Amino acid sequence: MQYFRSGALAGLALGVAVAAAPAGARAQEITLWTLNFANDSANQAFRSIIDQFQAANPGVTVKVENRGVDEHKSALRVAAGSDQAPDIFFSWAGLGLGGEYIKSGLAAPMDKYYAEYKWDDEFLPAALSFSRQYPGGRFGVPYTFHGEAVYYNKALFAKAGITSEPKTYAELLAAADRLAAAHIPAFTFGGTVNWHVMRLMDEILETECGAATHDALTNMKVSWATEPCATKSFEEFHKWTSKYFLKPFMGIDQSQSFNLFLAGRAAMMVEGDWLVGQLKGAGRLADYALFPFPTGTQRLYGFAEYDYISSKSKHPDIAAKFLDYLGSTPVQQAHLGDFGSISVNRFVKYTSSEPMDLAWQRIFAEYRSTFVNGDQAFPLAVTTEYFRVINQVASDRLAPKDAAAELQKFISSAK
Amino acid sequence: MRPRRMRLSVTAQGLVLLAPALLVYCGFAVYPMLDVALMSVMKWNGLTPTWRFVGPQNYVQAATIDPVFWVAFGNTLIWTAMSVVVPPLIGFALALGLNQNLPGRGPLRALFYLPVIIAPIAVATIWRWMYDPFFGLFNAALTAAGLSGLIQDWLGDRAVALYAMFIAYVWETVGFSMVLFLAGLQGVSRTLIEAARIDGAGRFATFRYVTLPALRPSITIVLILSIINSLKAFDIVYGMTQGGPAQSTQMLAMWAFTQAMQLGDFGRGAAVSMVLLVVTIAIVIPYLRWMLRRDATA
Repeated sequence: MQYFRSGALAGLALGVAVAAAPAGARAQEITLWTLNFANDSANQAFRSIIDQFQAANPGVTVKVENRGVDEHKSALRVAAGSDQAPDIFFSWAGLGLGGEYIKSGLAAPMDKYYAEYKWDDEFLPAALSFSRQYPGGRFGVPYTFHGEAVYYNKALFAKAGITSEPKTYAELLAAADRLAAAHIPAFTFGGTVNWHVMRLMDEILETECGAATHDALTNMKVSWATEPCATKSFEEFHKWTSKYFLKPFMGIDQSQSFNLFLAGRAAMMVEGDWLVGQLKGAGRLADYALFPFPTGTQRLYGFAEYDYISSKSKHPDIAAKFLDYLGSTPVQQAHLGDFGSISVNRFVKYTSSEPMDLAWQRIFAEYRSTFVNGDQAFPLAVTTEYFRVINQVASDRLAPKDAAAELQKFISSAK
Repeated sequence: MRPRRMRLSVTAQGLVLLAPALLVYCGFAVYPMLDVALMSVMKWNGLTPTWRFVGPQNYVQAATIDPVFWVAFGNTLIWTAMSVVVPPLIGFALALGLNQNLPGRGPLRALFYLPVIIAPIAVATIWRWMYDPFFGLFNAALTAAGLSGLIQDWLGDRAVALYAMFIAYVWETVGFSMVLFLAGLQGVSRTLIEAARIDGAGRFATFRYVTLPALRPSITIVLILSIINSLKAFDIVYGMTQGGPAQSTQMLAMWAFTQAMQLGDFGRGAAVSMVLLVVTIAIVIPYLRWMLRRDATA
């Protein structure tokens, strides 16, 4: 019996020790929730960054959980209502998608870390601007920054007799006419993913309304129904969808649209800097070039992706330390191109001699301010209606002259 | 002395056996349903810890200011009407055919049942590719047959998208009806059929007065399951069109999900779910009662 007691005590002690060990490890564990990476180089880069951070910070473990977009949003909603939130979570910057989590209190203000790590000196000002959009402090830190522009097929432009890249909206229309005369559709878009066709509407709104009015419209400070440029934008948009699009387009998605672009079925696509990697992967980089959509406002169409520290994090200091490491110059320099063409770190040196990489560097250097995609500017419910109205116009189910009023009707009733 | 056995009445035994399942059912079905009913009169974005009572506002807004709700409602009814007729009819025809002594009957049954066991999202992906307007099977076949005038943007044209999606749904579900009808057909008494034949009944009369009445329970089950499955159609819509183009293929189940999980309006999503529940009950319960009454008097 004595042996039994001793054995039981020893077992109990061992059990306590075993149970305590992971608890100790967990004390230094931070969790990061992000999206599934689109390519393997990003996966490998992230793994390597985490390994190096852990090696430099003994006892700290960074656990990453990747999800698809919808699953990620759902997981964050569940996390917001429980105590199981991650220490760091990914979301887009801007009032729409990222702002939702800030408004709900899931994201913690990061002013203290901005001062401690001097992030204002480290990151690109345009990418940082989103962190100041919210009341109550600075939220999130840039993870990627993307610009969107018009990619074109050089051979198709030459075939249509277009000798220079359009510098104004009128020149872009003239180029589209020349392409149409040569029986070449100007643009390809995928209509099943609403945000793809939306890009053209966003660019036209910026062109027709100018920066201030465009912002006022997306911030819902002025009425779409009474702002003439909003209606004019829908009319212009309809002109493009009816005359210059590769058809049919409402039944295909963005990846199918890209395949058609590669197959030379249309001359242009509005895409982000990530397309450079895709063209490189397809071995077709030399066949294409790019130019910013000529809106005339000197604002770059683009968006930022941020990492936010959760208000429920038990280790916000370690989380901030990791984010500082992730955005630091050596790390960003070592992994340049893995997460996007452009780094969010302002000190990164670009050594690529690829014309398209150089074009993007020129664009990012030239443009001082940005305007974001419609789906990141509006609240989610209005975004859904914006998609619906755009698609109705694109599929000739809604007269362009009535579209702005239709959108305003929803905005007014939702307020 | 042998220990006394505890004796339970038949009712108590039944209750003991039912209790675990009933508990699980209450926890995972009844409670969530009540919770959704409660949520439908609340405002909640899924992020904040508190709900705000808004009364019938979510229902009123869905019915009056939501431009998609009635489209989804109408599509759900059209989809249900088609689902009650087309897959059961085809399934019934297949079952009749495959109930005969055909060579290769077993493999044929398996072949027609195969789509039922494929994950719905995979079915959606397969059909989405076949409907691709540029590289898809259908348009390529029409072009090859010299019928390029008939090619369509199958999932992009709102006039055809819902019906194109429904064809994929028929392909996916027809095997299910077929198997239930086959099971029913095998339960039809050979003696009755032979007696009818001896009495001079032709093939049609035998079918009309012997086979069909014997299949009534199978028909009831197939129709009720078809109604329920069609009312909650979600995965095929999610996988093929996401409700597009311009929300024209939206359905109530998908719209409830979109409102709650994508737009973060859980109150509105719950209200749409409740409408769907009421529609389902309004269709299924009277039909079930009518069929049961008819069976009782038969």
